[in-house]
Parts: sequence; structure tokens; C-alpha cells
Amino acid sequence: MKINEIRNELLNDMYYDIDHPSGLKILIMPKAGYASTYAIFATKYGSIDTMIEMKDGSFREIPEGTAHFLEHKLFESEDLDAFERFAKTGASANAYTSFDRTGYLFSCSGNFKENLEILLDFVQNPYFTQATVEKEQGIIGQEIDMYKDIPDWEVMFNCLRNMYHNLPVRIDIAGTQDSIAQITADMLYDCYNNFYNLNNMVLAVAGNTTVDEVLEVADRVLKPVEGKMAQRKIIEEPKEVKADYCEKKLSVATPQFMLGFKEDWDTPERTAKEEIAMEILLDMISGPSTDLYRRLFDANLINQSFGFEYFTGFGYSCVLFAGESNDPKAVCEEIKKEISHFRGNGFDEKDFERTKKKLYGRMIMGMNDIDSLANNMAVSFFAGEDVFTDFETYKTVTVEDIRELLNKTLDENYSTLSVILPNN
Amino acid sequence: MHFENIAEGVRLCAQNTDKFKTCRINFSMAMPLDQDASARAILPFILHRRCAKYPDFIAFSRVLDELYGAAISAGVSKRGEAQILSFSMTAIDDRFALNGDTVALECVQLLTDIIFDPLTDGESFPADIVEQEKRLLVEMIENEMNDKRRYALTRCEEIMFKDEAYGINRLGSVDEVKALTPEKVYSAWKDILRSATIQVTMVGSMDVDPVAEILKSRFSSIERDVAKIDTVFVNEVNQPEYICEEMPIKQGKLVMGFRTGMADEYDNSVAMRIAVDIFGGGTYSKLFSVVREKMSLCYYCSAAFFSSKGIVMVQSGIEDINEEKAKSEILNQLSLVAQGEFSDEDFSSSIKSITDSIISNNDTPETICAWYSSQLLRKNLKTPEAYAQELTEVEKAQVIEAAKTITLDTVFMLKSNGEVCDDED
Repeated sequence: MKINEIRNELLNDMYYDIDHPSGLKILIMPKAGYASTYAIFATKYGSIDTMIEMKDGSFREIPEGTAHFLEHKLFESEDLDAFERFAKTGASANAYTSFDRTGYLFSCSGNFKENLEILLDFVQNPYFTQATVEKEQGIIGQEIDMYKDIPDWEVMFNCLRNMYHNLPVRIDIAGTQDSIAQITADMLYDCYNNFYNLNNMVLAVAGNTTVDEVLEVADRVLKPVEGKMAQRKIIEEPKEVKADYCEKKLSVATPQFMLGFKEDWDTPERTAKEEIAMEILLDMISGPSTDLYRRLFDANLINQSFGFEYFTGFGYSCVLFAGESNDPKAVCEEIKKEISHFRGNGFDEKDFERTKKKLYGRMIMGMNDIDSLANNMAVSFFAGEDVFTDFETYKTVTVEDIRELLNKTLDENYSTLSVILPNN
Repeated sequence: MHFENIAEGVRLCAQNTDKFKTCRINFSMAMPLDQDASARAILPFILHRRCAKYPDFIAFSRVLDELYGAAISAGVSKRGEAQILSFSMTAIDDRFALNGDTVALECVQLLTDIIFDPLTDGESFPADIVEQEKRLLVEMIENEMNDKRRYALTRCEEIMFKDEAYGINRLGSVDEVKALTPEKVYSAWKDILRSATIQVTMVGSMDVDPVAEILKSRFSSIERDVAKIDTVFVNEVNQPEYICEEMPIKQGKLVMGFRTGMADEYDNSVAMRIAVDIFGGGTYSKLFSVVREKMSLCYYCSAAFFSSKGIVMVQSGIEDINEEKAKSEILNQLSLVAQGEFSDEDFSSSIKSITDSIISNNDTPETICAWYSSQLLRKNLKTPEAYAQELTEVEKAQVIEAAKTITLDTVFMLKSNGEVCDDED
């Protein structure tokens, strides 16, 4: 069994990268002096995976929201639900489905081996029946309704729906009432067999743990399976946005907005350097230390909710600016003007260095807690990187990189504004 | 943990450790929750963006960037009938500073600068800044209704505690904020420095002594006169009140407020915590496993215990048509706990689960700070381990007794008014 050690000297951190004979990648970061341990068992299967690859290489479509539905159902078994099992050991367990992955996790300060066994066991043993599927449709139906009332969620999905014609990132993670009504127990088994094979998954553990104790449980509980990492279908998507504006009324006090800039790249995923360069670029244009921020703040156009995100995954990359504002269109104009200004006038080297210094500190701040460390280990692995890649890459970013990036992205001809207005 | 008295009603609580990559320092300042709530609530927001040394908020932000992205946050919370203003700062540990910068101590200095040396305009805060922060605070209060779960809880509290200080919103009210003047806000600032119960909590590798010195010197010029903070524990419930409101929403929000029968925050509180946990805490609780999982009545259904006021609040996201069923089942599950209808396994699971999560508080600077700063009104600070020990000493019979005294006081239901239609797409 190959056990690599991945270190970063400056951070004085290290973790073990293990190719387990079962086919599963296991990542373990022991943290001295920590009382608790966090483990996540994740699969590279999320809401954007609306296609299953068949044996003959063709792709079959599955209903929207299936990944999330499967996540809910996996906790059940013929005997004891996973939650009931974790209740006996005192762990705090949970799961989540995001755009590109599903994760099952627990954190505990005792009974780690028992908890790890429960985790590995319940995720590897699916149990779906028509009766349990129907019951879940009721619960998830209510979850979908709950999200429809959440303005932050609606403003984002409306933005994505207008940005993308075809990409599945525009679909609500939980699906819709109609789409989940089409899900059957057989479909869940098909998805499970396709995506929940150990070669498409990762186990990441951080905190009060050792390699030996993790491997002792893994050796006993993991069942080797045939399979490979699932391939994602590249879906054709035009360069243009579907619509450049939309508004919806919800019960809010101040309007909310999200301004998205669609990008067009030759490769489906961004590199660490591209992502970091974009973080720096966005902070220099609209972060809390910028002239734009001051102008918007002093003109009463934004409040402390204003922020940005570089939203990227397999097949999609876009920049999102969002917040609350009494005049979203005015904010949108100011942001576009500022982008043009930087495009024409370039960047101050001092501002650039200061922004990098801040980023350095913020990356370090993100490496304290075992929750983010374990999740980052898993996410980095799925991206073909390691947890220190960002930290090592940021120093290589230059002002020239930022300038080039700005020339390629943030094009207002490919932008869309989504607004939520009060309904009184 | 190191504890030290800095001045009257001001203490320092510090954990010196190099386990983490960052350091964190929190100032929590408690005053009675009363008619001055708005004037006090605006203070953390005005103060945290600038100070006398750095009057311009963008320039101040750049100073923080240069300190490797040090982050200052401000907040207002409520604990019992105390309003708590807090200022927190997170910075990288000095060992990660390039060029031998001493980041941590500089950050502590900055934090005291913003609290003790704010930007003033003679004997007041600058009028334009006060106006700007008033607008932001009004927006913050008004936008609380955006999160319907939060809104329903706030409404239930307003109704249940209409004759008690606890019913006051921790941020005050829109009308009172709009009526604030720079003089009133300035006076509230002087007031908290003089009379708030203050705790400074820090975690990190920096030495405690220099920080204690800085704090002592700051407080040496302030004549302290600590305000008394009392929380009233009401236990008489004549008839539960029911209020229903309608809004254009899809999912209904049900909130049920209960009185626990406690005389004060220490009265049987550990047993009560376990009782509430078995009733509606984790995924093994009655509310989750029955109301959600078995009966599919809701997406979320949980109970929260607030020992500082002796209350339990149950919250659930349900379809409007299930309101009666959900209410009656929630009450049924509570009565089962009160009758001892839970297994020894449920009892030990609850203790294990609460203990487990309490011990985990030791693993980030933020959770350590939060654990201790939440105790700022207590005479003696309890470690997570000490609390966990108390949990293991509780007997099942005590939990049953505790559950028996939980009484329904108020029900608030936020329903759909039928105006929302499904999206097409």
C-alpha cells in the first residue's frame, strides 16, 4: 500500500496520502493537541451530474435532484438508520450535496473507530425501496419549498438560470417537486452503482487520529469494487448569456442582487493559479479596501452584505458580485465602470502586494479547523491537487497575470443581473 | 486557562497555546437590555470600521490588510436580559509573519484603539458617520424578516415576552434607531465603558502579561460603576397564546415557546439541557426521529434551550395544512419525555452527544473564545471538561422531573397567504 507524506514546511503541516487496496484514496491529517476528529467520506457526484455513463460510452439522463435525494436515502437501512447508530457513539453526523460532490461526515471527540466504521459501512450499503422513496419525496418536497423562500438562494439560481442555457449548474440542487416525483428505487441503485464506487470517492480525516487506526477500520470495512473515476460529459454551452436581466418579488426589506459575468475557457476546470489570480483581481476591484467599495458605501448603494465569489467547477466559471441594495442597477453600472477603469489604467503594484499579503494571511486562517481541513483535502483531491497547492501557488502570481486575466474575463457583454425585489 | 481581574467588572480570560495558526481576541460588553438598546446596538458597528488613529474606513481596511488580512468583526447579541456588544479580531500567529513582524500584539493594540479611542468630533461622534451607520442598522433590522425562520422566532419572542425586557430586539427598533443623535450615541459609548460588565477573552501564543498591561492602562482612566443585570424568570402561564400571521411564502414556520419552571439560570439547568436534547436536540431526538422522519411532517423540527432565560423554543418548517398535526405531535412528544417514555439508551446517547460536542469546543480559537465569552456574566468560569463532568452526573429521574415543568406559553404560526406561485422554467 502506497503511503505518501505531503508536507508544507512553512505551515508545519503534513498529511498522509494513501492508495488503499480497495481502490479508495484515503487522506489523513493528524493534528497534535486536538481533542476531536472530523471524517468525510465523499463521492465525486453532485447536482451537475445529470448524466450516467453507460457501458457502451453513451450517456443516460437522470432526474434533477437525484444526487441530493440519494444522499438523504443513504442514511436508511433495513436495520438501524445511520443516525441511530451514531446516537450510541455520541458523534455529530451530517451530509451535504453540492454542485460537484456529495459528502457524508461526522465529528467526534470519542469513539472515533466505531464512528468511522459506521460511516464507511452505511455509505457502502445502500437500501432503497419504493416506500422509503415516497416518504422522502414528502420531506425533500418541503426542503425545496423552504429554499424557495430564501432570497440568497433564489437570487443565485435565477442568476445561473439566466447565465447558462444548457449547463446543469443552473439546476436547483434539490431538484423540483416534479423532478423528484420521477425518482424510483431502481434509479437510485443505478446512480449509486455508477458514482459510489470507491475509485470515484475519497475518505479524508483530520484531527485527533493516527494512520494506524484509520487503516485498521478501512482494511476491515471497505469492500473492493470494480470501477473507475466517473467521467463527466462536456455539455455544449454558447458563449452568450440566456438573458441579461431578471427580477422576482419575494418578502424582503431591501432588494438583493447578483451580477454574474460568464466566462468562456478552452478547458473545463480552472487551475489553482487561475483561481487565486481571480481572487486577487476581484479583491483589488471591489474588496473592502477599494475606492469602488468606498464610493458604493458612501452613496448608500451597498451595505456590509456586499461581496464577490469566483464560482467555478467542471464546465463552468463565472464571477458573481452580490449583496443588498436599494438600487441594484446603479451598483451594476458602477462595477462595470470600475472594471473598465482597471482595464484601461492597470494596477498599482503596491495595492497588488498588499492584496497578496492579505490573501496569505487568510489562507493561513483557513487552516486551523479540522472541518475545513478535511473538506479541503477531499476537494483538492477531486481537483487533482493537494491541500497546500493554493498556498504554494499564490506567490507565483504576478501583476502581469492579473492584467492578462482581466483582459480575458469580466466582459460586460456576457453579464447578467438577477434581482429580488420586495413585494410590497 | 488564565483568569485575571483587570478592573472592577472587567476580567481577562486567556489561553496561551501554540496549537493554532491564528490568535483570536474578543471583547464582550454586557448591559441591561432596556430602552437604550438602539443607542448601544449601533456602537460596535460605528466603532469597528475606524478609529481616531485611522479615521478613514478604507485606509483602516488597508492597515488590516497589511497585518496579513487581520479581520475585525462586530456584533450584538442577547443573553437573558442582557444586551452584549462584541468586538472580535482574528490574526495570524507571529510565527507566520514574514520579516519578523509582531502581528498579534499590534492587533490587540488596534482593537483597544477602536474601542477606547474612536473617531470623534469634539464631544460627539461625527454626524455623517452616525447617519451612515443608522441607515445600515435600520437595514439590518428590517432585513431580519428576509430569513423567515429567524423572523418567526423573533415574532414569537416579541409576543411571548411583550411585558418583559427579553422581548426587546437585541438591535433595538427601527424608530429608535432613526431617532438617534450623535450625542446620544456618544453618551451610550461613555456609559458602556463605565458600566458594562466586560470580559476580554484571548486564545493564541502571545504572552498574556503585555495584553493585561495594555488593558489595565486603558481602564485606569475610567471610573467604573458596573450596572446590575438581572433576568426575570417567569413561570406562570395562564393560557397559551396563539398568534398567526400570513406572508407570501411557500413553507410555513411554526414556533412554540415554553417556560421551563426554572428559578434562575443555574436551577437544574444541566438536567434540563439533557431533557430538551432528548426532546428535540439531535437526530436521535423525538422531534427529529418522529415528527420529521417517521411522520414526514416537516423538513426541520428542533428544540433549543436558553438557560439564561429559562425557556425552550421549538421551531419547525412545515406545510400549512400540517399545522395542527405538527403542534399536537410536538406536545405529545414532550409529554412522553415528561412521563419517562424514553430509553436508557436515549438518555446515554444524549449525554454522550452533548459531551462530545462540548469537548470539541477546544479545537478552534473561535469556539474557545465563544465558550468563555458566553459566560461573561457568571462569577466563575467553567471549562468544557467541568461542564461535561456535570452532565455525566445527572440521573434519568432528574431529566424526567425537568421535562415535567416545561409548559407551553406561546405559539406563533407564519403561514402562506397564497400569493406565491411556482416558477416556470
